[in-house]
Amino acid sequence: MDFSLTDDQRQLRDRMAKFAQLELNSGAIERDRDQVFSHDLWKRCGEMGLQGLPVARDFGGEGLDPLSTAIALEGFGYGCRDAGLLFAVCAHLLACAVPISLHGSGIVKKKYLPGLCNGTLIAVNGMTEETSGSDAFHMASRAVSDGNGYRISGVKTLATNGPIANLAVVYAVTDEKKGAHGGITGFVVETETPGLRQSQRFDKLGFRSAMMGRLVFEDVFVPKENVLGGVGGGSTIFTQSMEWERICIAACHVGAMQHLMERAIEYARTRTAQGSPIGKYQAVSHKIADMKIRVETTRLLVYHAASRIGKARDNAMNASMVKVYASECLQKTALETVQIFGGHGILTENELERALRDSIGSSIYSGTNEVQRNIIASWLGL
Amino acid sequence: MNNDAQSIQTSVKDYLMKTFLPGEDPESLTPDTPLISGGILDSISTVKLVTFLEEQYKVEFQAHEINSDNLETLTDIAKTIQLKSAARA
Repeated sequence: MDFSLTDDQRQLRDRMAKFAQLELNSGAIERDRDQVFSHDLWKRCGEMGLQGLPVARDFGGEGLDPLSTAIALEGFGYGCRDAGLLFAVCAHLLACAVPISLHGSGIVKKKYLPGLCNGTLIAVNGMTEETSGSDAFHMASRAVSDGNGYRISGVKTLATNGPIANLAVVYAVTDEKKGAHGGITGFVVETETPGLRQSQRFDKLGFRSAMMGRLVFEDVFVPKENVLGGVGGGSTIFTQSMEWERICIAACHVGAMQHLMERAIEYARTRTAQGSPIGKYQAVSHKIADMKIRVETTRLLVYHAASRIGKARDNAMNASMVKVYASECLQKTALETVQIFGGHGILTENELERALRDSIGSSIYSGTNEVQRNIIASWLGL
Repeated sequence: MNNDAQSIQTSVKDYLMKTFLPGEDPESLTPDTPLISGGILDSISTVKLVTFLEEQYKVEFQAHEINSDNLETLTDIAKTIQLKSAARA
């Protein structure tokens, strides 16, 4: 077992980190304060290839394997202080571009993937509803066969990129009798289709430069070539996209934790109390030692799970373990970094209170940590 | 690997009893017992069953094939495996 990265993987991670540091961070405080999504930065991410990392080169992507995709996103997470932009890219890439790339018809892939990869298009994943969140497959949205396609009705909520997206990957019940397996279908829908309305953004605690909102479908016609992976395959496709999302967003968390730890180390070496750098006091140094443990253990879990994507169905359990562990480590690391910085930690200008706010949602989105523990228990036969 | 319907049903039944119905009376699981609509298999256990079938019989399920048409009963499962094995041969 060799845990070392290849030169290409190391360069990829460094390149993404440097790009984010140089190009994406200016104005992050203001975008958070004003809850503004930057279309300009989105396009720059597209030029860098971020929105199409694992998509085949033939369709405009970078053609990376899942592990290299995770490593690139770790670099992105390390360098990018605009957590909203980062979250918007991940939702677009992992819950939309990836399932379209893996399950879209030839027509759909040719029509949409180049734009999804280069930043021309913005995609939203429509799954959560007001009455189905953790029990996502008990959705109320329906799609009824109509000639050469389907008509979708329903309301999706808490949809990242919802207010600004051009394209939606949406799931609806096509056969009530079949339930989760066989009864749910995924569709690719242009948001300008008659009958589809996008709400205004919701105000929220963290990743505030990502726009989150509602999608309302009223008898929205979708041609049959826009069905993802065959009628009835929706739950499997959604589960697979969550495997990608849970693992690869956790890769971003590894980068973010590394960054927070480096800031804590720098501060602990230079800030003095009673004549000594505060890092000389175990109350501080042990916190940072624990940060190092969390970064390294999360990284190992992420790399292992990423290397298993597409190879084993039970990797869904690894994805859940990664998701729980990485999000809880990120929250703890963000909170302890604020604590080490003391009064300076809660000042907006130091960008740590924002990191803490940005970390809170991580135990909720992509399936709450409670649900992830249910999934793990279920795979263990409990 | 013996792929006649009876052998498949016996092997899958053993797996289901051990994995999802420990301690239950094996007689209660008949070839026509509804597995999905009857609540024996939820969404994750259905995927676990598919994982078992793919490994045991060297077949592959596409996303839209994981449904009650193919997996509702032991009879359905045996038929599905036989069809997939024949298509592969």
